[in-house]
Amino acid sequence: MVQGLARDFATREILPRAAHLDHTGEFPKDLIQKAADLGLMGMTVPEQYGGAGMDPVSYVIAQEEFARASAGVQAIITVNNSLVCDPIVAFGSESQKRRYLPGLSSGKDLGCYCLTEPSSGSDAMSLRTSARLDGDAWVLNGTKTFVTNGVEATICIVYARSAPDPGAKGISAFIVEKQFPGIRVGKVEKKLGIKCSSTAEIILDSCRAPKENLLGEPGMGGRIALATLDGGRLGIAAQAVGIARAALEDSAAFARERRQFGQTIGEFQAIQWALADMATRIDAARLLMYRAAYLRRQGRPYTKEASMAKLFASEAAMWASHKAVQIHGGYGYIQDYAPERYFRDAKITEIYEGTSEIQRVVISRHVLGAR
Amino acid sequence: MPGILIVASALEGSMGRSSVELTGAARNLAGPLSLPMSAALVGQGRGIGQAVETLQQYGVQTVYRCEHPALTPGQSDAVLAALDLVVTKAQPELVLISADTVGREVAPRLAYRLRAALATEVMSLAVDGRAVMARRQVYGGRAIATLEVTARPAVISVKPRAFDVPQPQPVRGTVEEISLTIDPEALPTRVREAQSERAEVGLDDAQVVVGGGRGVGGPEGFKLLEELAAALGGAVGSSRPPADEGWVPITWQIGQTGKSIRPNLYVAVGISGAAQHVAGVSGSRTIVAINKDPEAPIFSLAHYGIVGDFRQVVPALVAKIKAAKGA
Amino acid sequence: MDTIVCLKQVVDPELPQWDFAIDPATKRQVRMGKPLVISTYDENALELALQLKEKTGGKVTALTLGPQGEVKDAVRLALAMGADEAVVIDDPQSPQRLAADKASVLAAAIKRIGRFDLVLTGCESADWVERAMAPFLAEALGAACVTFISRAESRDGALSVRRTSEEGFQTVDVRLPAVLSVTSDEAIRPRLPKVKDIMAAMRKPVANWTRADLGAEDAGGAKGVEVKDVSIPERTTKVEFLEGEPAEQAEALVARLRALKIL
Repeated sequence: MVQGLARDFATREILPRAAHLDHTGEFPKDLIQKAADLGLMGMTVPEQYGGAGMDPVSYVIAQEEFARASAGVQAIITVNNSLVCDPIVAFGSESQKRRYLPGLSSGKDLGCYCLTEPSSGSDAMSLRTSARLDGDAWVLNGTKTFVTNGVEATICIVYARSAPDPGAKGISAFIVEKQFPGIRVGKVEKKLGIKCSSTAEIILDSCRAPKENLLGEPGMGGRIALATLDGGRLGIAAQAVGIARAALEDSAAFARERRQFGQTIGEFQAIQWALADMATRIDAARLLMYRAAYLRRQGRPYTKEASMAKLFASEAAMWASHKAVQIHGGYGYIQDYAPERYFRDAKITEIYEGTSEIQRVVISRHVLGAR
Repeated sequence: MPGILIVASALEGSMGRSSVELTGAARNLAGPLSLPMSAALVGQGRGIGQAVETLQQYGVQTVYRCEHPALTPGQSDAVLAALDLVVTKAQPELVLISADTVGREVAPRLAYRLRAALATEVMSLAVDGRAVMARRQVYGGRAIATLEVTARPAVISVKPRAFDVPQPQPVRGTVEEISLTIDPEALPTRVREAQSERAEVGLDDAQVVVGGGRGVGGPEGFKLLEELAAALGGAVGSSRPPADEGWVPITWQIGQTGKSIRPNLYVAVGISGAAQHVAGVSGSRTIVAINKDPEAPIFSLAHYGIVGDFRQVVPALVAKIKAAKGA
Repeated sequence: MDTIVCLKQVVDPELPQWDFAIDPATKRQVRMGKPLVISTYDENALELALQLKEKTGGKVTALTLGPQGEVKDAVRLALAMGADEAVVIDDPQSPQRLAADKASVLAAAIKRIGRFDLVLTGCESADWVERAMAPFLAEALGAACVTFISRAESRDGALSVRRTSEEGFQTVDVRLPAVLSVTSDEAIRPRLPKVKDIMAAMRKPVANWTRADLGAEDAGGAKGVEVKDVSIPERTTKVEFLEGEPAEQAEALVARLRALKIL
């Protein structure tokens, strides 16, 4: 029934605006508020903190429905859920949970995740943003880049180096409110796809965060980041499956109607085979995603499985949306039809929250046993 | 007199077209079944005498005339009370009622009281042996069901505009007065007021109708459609989404829910062609579809298709029509 | 105001035409494997019931008749939207039955539920469109009846409703108890349940009854009416697309309409 709600919300509220949001790049503030009102912004947040208390499997099922309508809208929702609420639920103190989770779940606040820096992308643990304790506050300095929701977010999870140790060891995580002194939005990026979600630079210029806004223990930041990304990858796998499904559904509908050479193009084997392969890859991706989400629900390790799901789903989305454009022919290339949007949106799923190359590194480490 | 009883309504003070349509519907059955045709004429006001003559013009042999001040528009309980009296007297085999506001409520209730069979919203009627074969739309107009009605008595409600007004077939008939004694205050429902919404539209009788759908985008878009309708001398209607969204009055809605129309020309603008809407327009003689999506299902119903943005096409069309009329 | 809302599960009427088929054996739409939804106007009726409850208090009971395995979702959705209780009458044959046949069972169930001020149904089902259920129930329950209403408000123990008519609207005063059928209106667009309400719905009571429990004998089919045939009409028109710029398209259309003597 959660799927029913997610599907109704997606078809009733998101889908009619998906093309417009893509063309204008407008941030759909009212839509996000409606999602929050229904309990979709803090889906896995426990009920006592204002969330919906949903399990990880229902979560990915719902995320797929949002992404089927608009990958941009889903990006906004999944970042708030997976990358901001999740680490606070998992690592936050009782007072941090009570202070931040109700607002993030209710739509009063929106979260963003500040890990990547201009010179540390895939090699995230080489980050250079610094944190030093000054009396009762942490002072943060540095620049974060490619921050989804960066413009509209009011709550930021910021990773910074609080000790001189190199690599993951010296990194700590902080909950930084946008209203704290010394934090501001820098350059706002223009993107290929997921246009209605903002992607921005976040500049920390002697930003002061109260001492108690440290998330977890000092030096735990690397662990928090990686644990959070496991969950985040499920959100991106769901995004990719949603985009791929949209590509398939539109292509099948088009193939049934479009007539060339006296028959529908669906009667041509070339089209039939493409649709069959799309459907098969999408189901495989979805099953990988369900397995990882199920392991998470059981409280078992799922890092490798999340990476596999994200890797396979994102490549399936890219491939399926490419096929969808081709099946639509000229109509696939113009903005009156959705496949060109799927094609542009799909690409990001192979890049963010760990590129396909990084996913292969993660998976191969498990295969080789080199942990 | 056992036979076919039609329910003729003069609730508004005179009898409307749908009651005459019922005489046409009844004729499909009266001949083959060798049944006489009678009418329950319910209503009030000075138009009633004229109504009796009209019914006789169209072949009604016996008119059961029931006049009462409570027999006013929408007053289903009063109509039902009147019909109780008429059917007791007439003992009809078949009762035909127009499926209008009152008929929709009265037909099943009368069937329940008579322990009669019921077929509602019927579009065509025929006879097979002793059985009445009634055809009606089902599944939002996607399919047509044929019902075989063998039981007697049976109540059949007929969709307004499904039957044409027939050729007159005058008979010398008799009139029986039915006296109804009810206290309007005691009725469980009471119409307090009626509001007409944009009555000037006259969708029912318009020979040209311009219909707008979700693709029209909002109330502003319908302004363009009104200009086109004005140029064509027709009325404006809509599919379900604009009515649901409140862009247009609900009375504009054409389709399975809403009105069924059969104009000479129907112009569908920004209408995808959902079965629910198609059900109400498929009887139109000529259909033109304007839609930006060349794959829209409406094109499979249309005679002429224009693929394009209605914001450009409609003004161009208005200009050309005006020019053509001026010429 | 205690309200009972009758809900019917139908195959999603928004399914595309290519997915629509008639089963020659049952003479009904093929249901197997198709998504089922609460019939459009029934959901509006539920929304109206919930709004009346929010204004005047009372209880909303969702009542549905259908093959038990298929109707569970409808009932859970109704509970998630805010219905207090639900009753399911298991009837595997219900998709083949006509309104007259089902009305007696629903009426028996309503009597067994007990006290009610109002019974609401959709103004028509998305599949068979008989538009007869509310009047039948009104007769069986000895209640007042108004169909095709879009609004209702409580007024000194009675109800004032807005009925859609040919010309527009009529305001009708109705005594209670009453059976009303509901059409659509912006104000009664069905709400989406919140996630936590979906969770809570799992804990609300659902009664499961059978036709036999309600003393309905399994006659099958409505008296004296048999569905002989259900067919999908073939569309025979072939569209002529008018090409060119808007002005050229308009010119071409005007020429054709003149040829047809419409202009």
